[in-house]
Amino acid sequence: MAQPTLNAGRKLIPTPTDLARYPFLPEAGKYIESLEVKIDELTNPELEPTLIRAETRVEEAIISGIIRSRSLKDDVEIPSFPIAAMMVAASANSHLKRRYALAEAIRVSNLLKDEREEKIEAVASNFNWKMKTVKFNVGALTYDFALYFPNFLMNAANIQDEKWKLVNRTMLNGEVYITRKEASRLLQEEVRRHIEGKLDIEVGALPQNVMDRVDRLKRLFTEMSGKIQSEEMPKEVVIDAFPPCIRELRNNALAGRHISHVGRFTLTSFLISSGMTVENVVECFRPASDFSERMTRYQAEHIAGGRGSRTKYIPPKCDTLRTHGVCPGMDETCRGVRHPLAYYRRKLRIIKTQTQAATERA
Amino acid sequence: MNKIQAQDFIQQKFAEYYRQNFGSIQPPSRIEKREFAFLLFREKVMLRHKGFKTAEDFRNFLQNVLPSDVYYSSACYERPEEEMGAKGWVGADLVFDIDADHIPTPCNKQHDMWTCKNCGVSGHGAKPEKCPKCKGQKFDDLSWPCDICLESAKEETMKLIEVLDKDFGFSPQEMTLAFSGHRGYHVHIENEAVRTLDSMSRKEIVDYLMGIGLEPTLQGFDFEKGMGPNLEDSGWGGRIAKGTYELLASSEEQLEKAGLKKISGAIIQQREQILEKWKRKGPWGLVSAVGTGSWKKIIRQAIERQSVKIDTVVTTDVHRLIRLANTLHGETGLKKIEVSASEIEGFDPFKSAVAFKSGTITVDVFEAPQFRLGEYAYGPYTNEKVELPTAAAMLLLCKGAAKIVEEKAHVQ
Repeated sequence: MAQPTLNAGRKLIPTPTDLARYPFLPEAGKYIESLEVKIDELTNPELEPTLIRAETRVEEAIISGIIRSRSLKDDVEIPSFPIAAMMVAASANSHLKRRYALAEAIRVSNLLKDEREEKIEAVASNFNWKMKTVKFNVGALTYDFALYFPNFLMNAANIQDEKWKLVNRTMLNGEVYITRKEASRLLQEEVRRHIEGKLDIEVGALPQNVMDRVDRLKRLFTEMSGKIQSEEMPKEVVIDAFPPCIRELRNNALAGRHISHVGRFTLTSFLISSGMTVENVVECFRPASDFSERMTRYQAEHIAGGRGSRTKYIPPKCDTLRTHGVCPGMDETCRGVRHPLAYYRRKLRIIKTQTQAATERA
Repeated sequence: MNKIQAQDFIQQKFAEYYRQNFGSIQPPSRIEKREFAFLLFREKVMLRHKGFKTAEDFRNFLQNVLPSDVYYSSACYERPEEEMGAKGWVGADLVFDIDADHIPTPCNKQHDMWTCKNCGVSGHGAKPEKCPKCKGQKFDDLSWPCDICLESAKEETMKLIEVLDKDFGFSPQEMTLAFSGHRGYHVHIENEAVRTLDSMSRKEIVDYLMGIGLEPTLQGFDFEKGMGPNLEDSGWGGRIAKGTYELLASSEEQLEKAGLKKISGAIIQQREQILEKWKRKGPWGLVSAVGTGSWKKIIRQAIERQSVKIDTVVTTDVHRLIRLANTLHGETGLKKIEVSASEIEGFDPFKSAVAFKSGTITVDVFEAPQFRLGEYAYGPYTNEKVELPTAAAMLLLCKGAAKIVEEKAHVQ
């Protein structure tokens, strides 16, 4: 097998092993073309091992959320990725698509973090990242790369830990300093988005032997996700379970005090999401000094998804509320919660448990 | 003269301005991808979702409509004339709005006025929650452009530019600065890589500028070891060091205001040593009476001092409408005017933004605080008839603080 070679432009030519690890690279497509077997002849018995491998990829994604196994045959492993992707796309299930894309992305990230800088750079440049290798020590930390901040933001903004906030990074002249491990984590986001994009297609008719596998995977996914199905919201709105931000916004609304646009949107979308009627939401805003029944009703209906784009809106997450000065500070239940509605669900459970305990005692 | 007539007069003056300055109204880059919006005088409604192919189309429309305010979208769209959902967003410039309303200013906004809609009682400063007389909660409020407010806004703008330059690496060519024509400044960035950033990413930029979510231990602080960043460090580390240095060197009163009453004595006593040590290595852990809790408090204050006070909503909104440069502000009759980053320090908004430069108008002023335009200060006025240069009279008329008596033609 050919060793990886560096050309003059420091562009890495990936080996088949690299392509087996990172089958989303454009070179993988060329490799598949060069194979004797034609992957569009999916009923070809020679392709059976590839179909099995493809199904395993998705199966692992469904069951454990990460793909650990691999076929040692590059001519099976590499084409199994586009076939697995096709199967997932054919399932037409958006939850399964997200789960699969994430599992593949985690697989890639785990491999990347032990790679040499050149490999990481090669994958990054495939996604048009502006990143350069540096060796830069700050205390015990060694930064390996300087990454252009828009590339950082597009990927880090979705990661929840405080160390991924731009404000907690070292940034100079538009470059954010990151370690090799951090670069791998950011690439996970990039790969996830890339694969999700690939899965967002309509797949035409597939041969029966492939459709059977797709159906099997869909059944498996339904079985598995049944276990983690999220709870339904209760029918009654439980004001005692509101998070501090919503409680404060609601009190301000009822007292007729001024509320910012972000605050109004947050309160309205929260109340609607918790099951309150548009009618009751409008009443909430009636004491406001600039109250207009027509406007308030219009906005509440819009947020409830009854107008215009028909999108039903949910409140912004905690982090965003903090930016816009809506968060009044955390209470006990807020810790570990990232969204006002998550707080509400958690608090409902707590209240339910407490009530049950009280009933049992009595 | 009733309200409608006053509006007709203002509109007529605006028309005159646009006729004479036709050529100076430059539409934004990528004109064909922008949405334009016009606030109409008479109807007081916003005419939205307008699109233009060329600067000429745009200027002709402007001359026909004669609006009180002109806006364009920071966003670019495939189909700017469609409804929001169908426009096809392709990106947006990165915009910052620094408005005196979001900054605590030394004038305490005493020039602003409110009037209770219920009983007519009025007062100065920010409007109260409830009317002191009738407990009513509906007010008309009137804000004024003021030198102190705008000086504070300018300082924030200069802080913003420094961070955008040093930390974010934006070049002066990518940044456009402007006085908004009322109470603040706009900073506008056009850069290919930034254009496609979503609202979440822009929120991170806001948090960076304002120091929201900043965790000192991730900026080089180790409270147990008494270690922290140095004054000359770049980014937030250095900024916290600078903010802390300033705070430690400030008066007892300011220390107390910062919530450090208990230890202000110790700080003042050891101040010389502290500041001396600072210059060499940094004082973290040096003040014997200052424990970790107090350090954290000091650092919070330092962050607050160094943070840039921007309007968080404007920057995170990727569909924002922005006032177009060299058009008039309907609330002041001043124009939005661009200024280069190198010239902002000496920039005088109340001189450069004056749009009406000749003639006088006699007005009956109801009530107005003192204000300045160009070299002259005017007012305060209470129920008096005065002959004023056109720009000053227009400000009062636009604010609804006066009615017109007569206009005198230009003295050439």
